[in-house]
Amino acid sequence: MSAATESVEAEGTTRTGVYVYAVVPSDVEVDREARGVGDPPAPVRLVRHDRVAALVSEIDVERPLGRPDELLAHERLLDATAAEVPVLPIRFGAVVADKAAVVDEFLAPYHDEFDAALRELDGKAEYVVRVRYVEAAVLGEIIRENPEVARLREAIRGTPEDVTRNERLRIGEIINQAIEAKRQADTRTLTEALTPLTAGVNVREPSHELDAANVAVLVETAREAEFVKAVEKAARDWDGRATLRLLGPVAPYDFVTALKPEA
Amino acid sequence: MTTAVQPAGGGAMARPSSGTLADVIDTILDKGLVIDAFVRVSLVGIEVLTIDARIVVASVDTYLRFAEAVNRLDMSHDKMGLPELVGDMEQGGAKRKAKGALEGAVESAGETLKDLLGDRREPERVSRRGRRPEEE
Repeated sequence: MSAATESVEAEGTTRTGVYVYAVVPSDVEVDREARGVGDPPAPVRLVRHDRVAALVSEIDVERPLGRPDELLAHERLLDATAAEVPVLPIRFGAVVADKAAVVDEFLAPYHDEFDAALRELDGKAEYVVRVRYVEAAVLGEIIRENPEVARLREAIRGTPEDVTRNERLRIGEIINQAIEAKRQADTRTLTEALTPLTAGVNVREPSHELDAANVAVLVETAREAEFVKAVEKAARDWDGRATLRLLGPVAPYDFVTALKPEA
Repeated sequence: MTTAVQPAGGGAMARPSSGTLADVIDTILDKGLVIDAFVRVSLVGIEVLTIDARIVVASVDTYLRFAEAVNRLDMSHDKMGLPELVGDMEQGGAKRKAKGALEGAVESAGETLKDLLGDRREPERVSRRGRRPEEE
């Protein structure tokens, strides 16, 4: 790594690297207007090797990455790409020394794996289904189902927080556990309903304490309408108790992680 | 927080045209190919400033917030009815305040950025055509 850094340094006054967004088939073209991360946002280019290619842009390696508009730029580029062609998205922040390294160390050694994975993903898209409990509804459920919560609730009623801190911590802990159990059950219900319509399911970690489900699925484009209908039905079943958001199609972030070089 | 959400008519499903910044962080910082596993020699370590959008780790703050939420919950009219809906709306303010400051910041940033950037589906970045562009 240090050798590579030195060679970049030697190239000029600004130390630049190559930011890598994704692997795509080589028979694609990039809109010349496409912009990626960086300030100002750098033009996105293609580095090809045989049947695969990498979406890249030049980047100043001195400046830290991760401004909100950079995160969004990475995601929008990949999702817009996924809408057109199969794509293997790369996690945010991948920078290599130069374009030669993209070919020599990335595309060439793993050409066949990437090519096979792209073929496998052709005609499929990822969707993310995020369900979040309506707080008042789920708390009402828990109070009705759990006598201890109902009792503790009476105990803290109208008291200041510092006076009933222990009771409050206990009630909060029970509620948290109850939500975890509900989340598990509701996530199972959702995945069971969607699995027959999908080519892959990945249950994600919850990203919010009121999450009821956070699930990524891979769907064949030909079955999209059928899939969306099933999600709409799930949303109707949850109405009032939880809200559901369907994101996608997005790049198949959740379905490329199994691709790893031989150790 | 849900300004981008368009109700899908009839059902409770929302189909936002783009994810919030929190959605994006949940995805691109945590999923996808990890280049370090492939590229070793020419990998350039670059500082990545990011926020962990996850506040799920159960904490004292979470517990106290839940307790306050049940304390305020109006259960006088049992079942799901207007009182609970009103309770929910009243809690909106308190909830937002008590929520992790990080997430609040992330979500509001997301909204602002979204307004600035517009719909992400507009641009067609990469397409499959017969013609090959000049390669760089």
